[in-house]
Amino acid sequence: MSTKTPTEADILRPLKNTSKRYFMLFGAAAIAFGIFLVGWIYQLAVGMSVTGLSDWGSGGGVTWGLYIGAFIWWVGIAHGGIILSAAVRLLGMDRYMPVARLAEMLTLAGLSAAGFYIIVHMGRPDRMVTSVLGHYHITVNNSPLVWDVTVITAYFVLTATYLALTLRYDITRLRDDLPDMFEPVYKLLTLGYSEKEDEVIERMVWWVALAIIIMAPLLLHGGVIPWLFALLPTYPGWFGAIQGPQFLTIALTSAISGVIVVSYAFRRAYDWDHIITDDIFRGLLLWLGFFCLLFLWLQLQQLTSGSFSATVDHQAATASKLSHPAYIVPITMVFGVLMYIFATTLRPSLFSKARAIAAGVLVLIATLVEKTYFVVAGLWYPAFSIYDATPGDYFPSLIEMSSVLGTIGMVVLFFLVIAKVVPVVELHAVEHLRGDHGHGHEEAHESETEPEVKA
Amino acid sequence: MSADDESFHPLGKEWEGELEEMLDDTEYDTDLGMEMAQDAMRVTKGELSEAEFHEKYHDDVMDEFGVDDRPTEEAYEAAQEEAKGTVGRMLSAFDGDGEETRRETMKKMGVGAAAVGLGAWGATDDGPEADFAAADDAADGGDDDGIQWGMTIDLERCDGCLSCVDACSEENQLDQGVNWMYVLQFADEDNQEPGHHPAGGFENMLVRPCQHCTDAPCEKVCPTTARHTRDQDGLVLTDYDVCIGCRYCQVACPYGVNYFQWNEPDVEYEDIPENASEHPAAHVPADADPEDVTYSEYDDLDDDRWVDARAPRGVMSKCTMCPTHQDGSQGEEHIGHTACEDACPPGAIQFGNVNDELSDPQRYAENPSRGRSLERLAIPDPEELEDALEGEDDDLESVLDAVDFQAMDGDITTDAEGLGILLALEITGGEQMGNGPEVENHSDFVHYEQEVLDVLEVLEDHGLDLDSQEVLAELDLADPLEEDEDEDDDFEPDEDDAQFLLQRFAGVQTSSFKLLEEYGTNPNITYIGSEPGPNAEQIEGPVQYDSVDLTDNRKEVLDDDTVTGGMY
Repeated sequence: MSTKTPTEADILRPLKNTSKRYFMLFGAAAIAFGIFLVGWIYQLAVGMSVTGLSDWGSGGGVTWGLYIGAFIWWVGIAHGGIILSAAVRLLGMDRYMPVARLAEMLTLAGLSAAGFYIIVHMGRPDRMVTSVLGHYHITVNNSPLVWDVTVITAYFVLTATYLALTLRYDITRLRDDLPDMFEPVYKLLTLGYSEKEDEVIERMVWWVALAIIIMAPLLLHGGVIPWLFALLPTYPGWFGAIQGPQFLTIALTSAISGVIVVSYAFRRAYDWDHIITDDIFRGLLLWLGFFCLLFLWLQLQQLTSGSFSATVDHQAATASKLSHPAYIVPITMVFGVLMYIFATTLRPSLFSKARAIAAGVLVLIATLVEKTYFVVAGLWYPAFSIYDATPGDYFPSLIEMSSVLGTIGMVVLFFLVIAKVVPVVELHAVEHLRGDHGHGHEEAHESETEPEVKA
Repeated sequence: MSADDESFHPLGKEWEGELEEMLDDTEYDTDLGMEMAQDAMRVTKGELSEAEFHEKYHDDVMDEFGVDDRPTEEAYEAAQEEAKGTVGRMLSAFDGDGEETRRETMKKMGVGAAAVGLGAWGATDDGPEADFAAADDAADGGDDDGIQWGMTIDLERCDGCLSCVDACSEENQLDQGVNWMYVLQFADEDNQEPGHHPAGGFENMLVRPCQHCTDAPCEKVCPTTARHTRDQDGLVLTDYDVCIGCRYCQVACPYGVNYFQWNEPDVEYEDIPENASEHPAAHVPADADPEDVTYSEYDDLDDDRWVDARAPRGVMSKCTMCPTHQDGSQGEEHIGHTACEDACPPGAIQFGNVNDELSDPQRYAENPSRGRSLERLAIPDPEELEDALEGEDDDLESVLDAVDFQAMDGDITTDAEGLGILLALEITGGEQMGNGPEVENHSDFVHYEQEVLDVLEVLEDHGLDLDSQEVLAELDLADPLEEDEDEDDDFEPDEDDAQFLLQRFAGVQTSSFKLLEEYGTNPNITYIGSEPGPNAEQIEGPVQYDSVDLTDNRKEVLDDDTVTGGMY
């Protein structure tokens, strides 16, 4: 029923209006983050023994657990986000232009959360700079962990550049309506801007997008992150060539889910149903279905090759998957989401935004649990499994669990703050929607204007 | 691998033919080339040493080419030393596999062998570099590689008493449950209820210190170089001042030997020597400077590094093979010894330089029956022996009556058997008898062998002819003399008989293995005994950890700190 035309005023709304609900959400996110910070300080004071982690082997524990699982999860969300945004630009998927910048921002927020996890996970975070950078020229030759840090940093820089370049156009044009208190930020971002550069910037952004699209599968979630595990032959649950594609598909499912959730939150908060249209959610849901299918397909490959005639250690690792709730439940959740999405293609009336959100949230939970199980179960079922204590047990401590809430709070805070500084929807998107009415935004929209962000 | 068994070359007859054609096209002797190629293959297989290869063809190569740049044995060894000392060492710090040294050596290999030999090397499984390394090792005979500390552990002698675990824990003042040395017994498919082993220990034991791998996966993944191999002696150590506690080394190690310092260590740094000194198995003097037991020397660094004893909070630790002993900072007598080795009652742990074929671990692995015998016997004191023989006749019977050789070990049933074993030790000792590694202190065997020689000397001085066939036959070390046969003055005792005697006493090892060798870690521990199969599972061992104030499963200790809010 909406025939509203997207305007500059629409995308400026978050910068101009701040409601009571905004502060409530800000407070809630800050408390979530704060609770974890307190837990982390306690961990720094006492030691890593406050976690549920332990030594594997005679110690019968897992030395990597939820921290690493959540690290992979955030990196996955981050990488998928930027892939989505880059695909919009490269493949001309204009339909998703209104959520492209949100996806880019999700990448920066996700990478920040992941980087934070690296520090939280370490026994001596104070040595990060001296020990890692000091020996970088040697360790970069062989340590997958150093490759990780390198590529994550590269990705952060790439994404930040990408975002900064595209913001120049918007900020220059919307400058008069932007809050004065951030004047220095805008000045910096638009340093030396002239209209002549628009075309150049567009080309540059295209190349950066190309780099991202090429790097992501080769280096990021199809590369160095899975290589942390896939290169270790003594862990049958980890070792092997399939982890690259497997990680990438999981990253994309969680990232699309993340974009669905964040986009919906902004749409609901700022009355953007004519900008982030139902059509976008339908499309994102289909993509989610496609990547869920790939996710499950690759899991099936592993289950089959791990049980048919596998080595003793590999069979034990696979048997655990087939019996452990931390594997069965998330896989069932993803399967359920896939079935629902499949059903919506047969009967479009089954689609609703609430269900799309639910699918996204389910996938986000499933991928976090699956990734944590992947890390933990790998250590539970090593090739050398002679120790009585192996496989041991692991249940994350309250501090570890609060880290998930804390980093979600951190990411929400990131969005709440950045939405007050720069437009989270591209001006290009609004111009595009105005000039091209190829896409429908005819469905009913909620009229609430309260700024509620679901994370 | 080969298409044709008759071809020396792994790629088969066809490739061999191609090689031959290539050589025919040159002005040089094809037959010589092919012969050299065949022998080059033997070098890669370790059947022929590189030096022997060079010697064999030196003259031919001189005739054919007028020049032989390939080093002869002396030149080769000198080149190895030189490379090790300078460029090779510097570069090996980067990639750890001495690639450049081998390249240098390859250059020195010269024309003929390089042209033909490279083909051979390139065709084997791991590519030219890897195979050249194999050939390199074979050529050295082990002696020229410098020191590589390692162990031979006789699992058939291990009775699971946990003395080694305890000694290590005390020496290094480890936290409860941090078992750098770990001993376990396992049930396996073919032996579900392991019992006593005839060699004196239990069946299906596994003694698991760090394997100090030559290609350590933990070192490879370390993002900081904290986990490193010490150039001078091959020990894999952790620089406690550099480690960031990411625990990737613990993840990458297939053996599970790493123990993270999850919280403040139980023992203060300053208290390490004093606490350790209270334990009889530890060697540390109470008033020692803590740095003497924690900081270790590096030939290639100006400063000592903190790599030994319990780790500080937040960093990784594991068995170090006592580098502060090896440095001599706790006294010369501790060089070549570890706390666990010294504490092992049956002498099942043999520590030493595994690159030296005269070291204890190598000699023990080469002939475990003999090694066990040396470890087991309580050899009589020569002076007491002289006293016992005072006034006795010099025939065998009188000597056996006078001396209680049976007392040397509970399993010896007669004095004749006891004396036979002593003689058998000498007969099987060969030229190495009493000759240990360069620093004699390193070797227990040298001491034991010297003790044996001293006893035999006393007996011979007394007048007993230990070379006579008649005496040796009485001791089961020779065939009895035929009635009409005269005693041969140059009679040589039969080494097989001697070996048999040792085997009858100490048992024959069933097998030896290196743990998880298939993962390419190149561990420096050789085990004697049954290798755990893929389904092996730890069972309750002969001695319980808690009965000797140790903790088997550290998680029980760590769980005390885990924040659960009392909910789980």
